[in-house]
Amino acid sequence: MHLAISLDIAAATREAVLDFSRISKFVLQAEAAGVDMVAISDSADGPSSSPFEATTLLAALATVTNRIGLVASASTIAHQPYNLARRFASLDIISHGRAGWNATMAQSAGEAANFSRPEGFSDADFRRRSEEYIGIVQGLWQGWDADALLFDKSGGRFHDPEKMHLLDHKGEFFSVRGPLNVARSPQDTPVLVLSGLSEPDLDNAARTADVIFMDSGSVESTKIRFDDLKRRVAARGRDPDAVKMLATVPLAADETPTTVADRLETQFRAKSCDGFDIRLPARHPALDDFAERVLPELRRRGLVRETYRGATLRAHLGLAGGGDQ
Amino acid sequence: MTARMKLGAFLWATGHHIAAWRHPKAHVTAGVDIDHYIQLARTAEAAKFDMIFCEDAAGLREANVGIASQTSRSIGFEPISLLSALAVQTSRIGLVSTASTSYNEPYGLARTFLSLDHLSGGRAGWNLVTSASPIEAANFGSTGLKPHADRYERAREFAEVVTGLWHGNAPGHDGQSFSVHDPLDLPRSPQGAPVMVQAGASDVGRDLAARTADVVFTAAQTFEEAKAFYDDLKGRMAAYGREPDDIKIMPGVSPVVAQTEAEAREKHEELQELIPDDVGVALLSSYLSISDLWRHPIDGPLPELPESEGMKSRQALVVEQSRRDGLSIRQLARHFAGARGHWRIVGTAAQVADELQARFEGGAADGFNVMPSYFPGELDAFATLVVPELQRRGLFRRDYEGRTLRDHLGLKRPA
Ligand SMILES: Cc1cc2nc3c(=O)[nH]c(=O)nc-3n(C[C@H](O)[C@H](O)[C@H](O)COP(=O)(O)O)c2cc1C
Repeated sequence: MHLAISLDIAAATREAVLDFSRISKFVLQAEAAGVDMVAISDSADGPSSSPFEATTLLAALATVTNRIGLVASASTIAHQPYNLARRFASLDIISHGRAGWNATMAQSAGEAANFSRPEGFSDADFRRRSEEYIGIVQGLWQGWDADALLFDKSGGRFHDPEKMHLLDHKGEFFSVRGPLNVARSPQDTPVLVLSGLSEPDLDNAARTADVIFMDSGSVESTKIRFDDLKRRVAARGRDPDAVKMLATVPLAADETPTTVADRLETQFRAKSCDGFDIRLPARHPALDDFAERVLPELRRRGLVRETYRGATLRAHLGLAGGGDQ
Repeated sequence: MTARMKLGAFLWATGHHIAAWRHPKAHVTAGVDIDHYIQLARTAEAAKFDMIFCEDAAGLREANVGIASQTSRSIGFEPISLLSALAVQTSRIGLVSTASTSYNEPYGLARTFLSLDHLSGGRAGWNLVTSASPIEAANFGSTGLKPHADRYERAREFAEVVTGLWHGNAPGHDGQSFSVHDPLDLPRSPQGAPVMVQAGASDVGRDLAARTADVVFTAAQTFEEAKAFYDDLKGRMAAYGREPDDIKIMPGVSPVVAQTEAEAREKHEELQELIPDDVGVALLSSYLSISDLWRHPIDGPLPELPESEGMKSRQALVVEQSRRDGLSIRQLARHFAGARGHWRIVGTAAQVADELQARFEGGAADGFNVMPSYFPGELDAFATLVVPELQRRGLFRRDYEGRTLRDHLGLKRPA
């Protein structure tokens, strides 16, 4: 079972602004517990009690952790695709192949109003724009072959010109020549996480996503959506296992570790998801409970692996391109 | 107390010399090695530099792939992620990153830099650039590079929105290029607002700097050029109700320093010999905004140049130098490749310190943006040879006195 912890820093404490050392302690604790990844949600449109924009926080966390995957939200409204692709490519090298981008498919009207788009986009336009955007970002991430850099001092060849590829994208919303001026990712490309999907987004998600966060309902309804999604993935010629669907579960304070473990086990054994995106407020008691009581229980039941086996986020998730698994 | 000079450590790829990466002691994998940058930042911090500075371009530096592949400048870290990583691996040094007003939105940029400022406890700065390269423009649409005047008009509005957001002014901006509805959703900066840096050298560029910048970088070869720029910029500030001391002017300098002058010269020659002619000429032509320089005889003079829409000031500087010293294209290209038209000093620590002191005390600079020829060697050399010499002369701090970048630079905290 794959496990992500979504840190909702904005919702964490109304009382105090979190400081970096508190957040990093929290993430180190999740790392010690062997969690696949921590996801930092972010949006530039509401009151926040976190002083950090997610990609800057991710970069800082990358230097104080070693194994855990680090995923940040970044909006397609707030960034140009070239800049976003570049930021995450760079984060992936800083973290030695542990970075992921969480793209939300839901438009935030408040955000558009802060980015010189007071009228926003129609749903249909936003959807076509997002699809084009994701295609550009993934294309840019593949602009340099993994063996493009030669570092040949005496021969005067820094890189092999044949192994750098222009994107030359000309589309409805964007025109991007490329290539990126960042080297190829240590895990092939950063992990693409999609969230906020509605029905018309599913085919594009099936084509492009590595991970999908999906709201969980009853076991039955979640399973129907899981099976539908995996069918769509296969229909696009991809291995159904190449996309991991994680069901989002907020943890209620009054649940005992056993009831939480039971709930997750039932959902997982019913094959209604590949794992879970656990929503935790960034407070230690919540993580303490999860790391020290729920996780050992899941391990005891043989549902969660003992330790990290690989070095990259793709390796943790069992995705191709991640090196040793 | 005598005034102290400000020092920036300009980190760029494998070094500022175009052939730096080929030097036997250069760290050739710099562009994919975060630990290397952490080490450089710590070296600069131990030497008490005011700041480290990262340049930026949202695209390749050179369109000709054959040329680009002979340099180390086509790949590297994106600077905001790089400095965010360095923020938690250092504790005192300022962290300044370049970002473009042409390919960003003010709300996002203000938010990102303020976040870096919080991560670092008040050590962030933004170098505003308008991006002169058509290669960058092609990554952001199909209409090509916008004219210089349009870029600067957008930059003026951009800077106004960003500083308004940082200062927590009443929200609501609806202007020519931008509209912003909300205030920033982050707390106020630990240093009042991140530091504003600029390097515009054209008339509009200088005006924007005089109005909004806290620090100005510039490229000047001779004392006279540096002094003329310094006086001109400081002279423009009164019109905006500012004191001359509200801006620190820090020209770039690329020293090659060693224990003896002979050793320094040898080190410099060693680097010059690593420059392939086609690379040198291409670099020169990109700064001159002329694409067919290679058609002209390499041992002949520079041809007449068309008016530039790119970096007007740098073009003028190169042309002036070629006429003054009677340099051929090859000589100019080699010379230029060393530090892209910035000031170069080759010599001992005492010689370098003499030159810096003369410009500092002669009223031509408030400090310097140090551009090591290759990394880590030439940053180490500056830190271990030149910095102690400057300290002995009372020209540079022996330790940090404050916590924030504004403290280091002696800048007022915005209300
Ligand atoms: C030290 C220094 C660093 C600079 N860094 C950048 C940079 O990273 N990116 C960029 O696009 N321009 C950079 N520039 C160019 C300036 O922003 C400016 O465009 C140039 O000096 C020409 O002035 P003008 O824009 O007023 O014509 C730099 C200039 C200097 C002197």
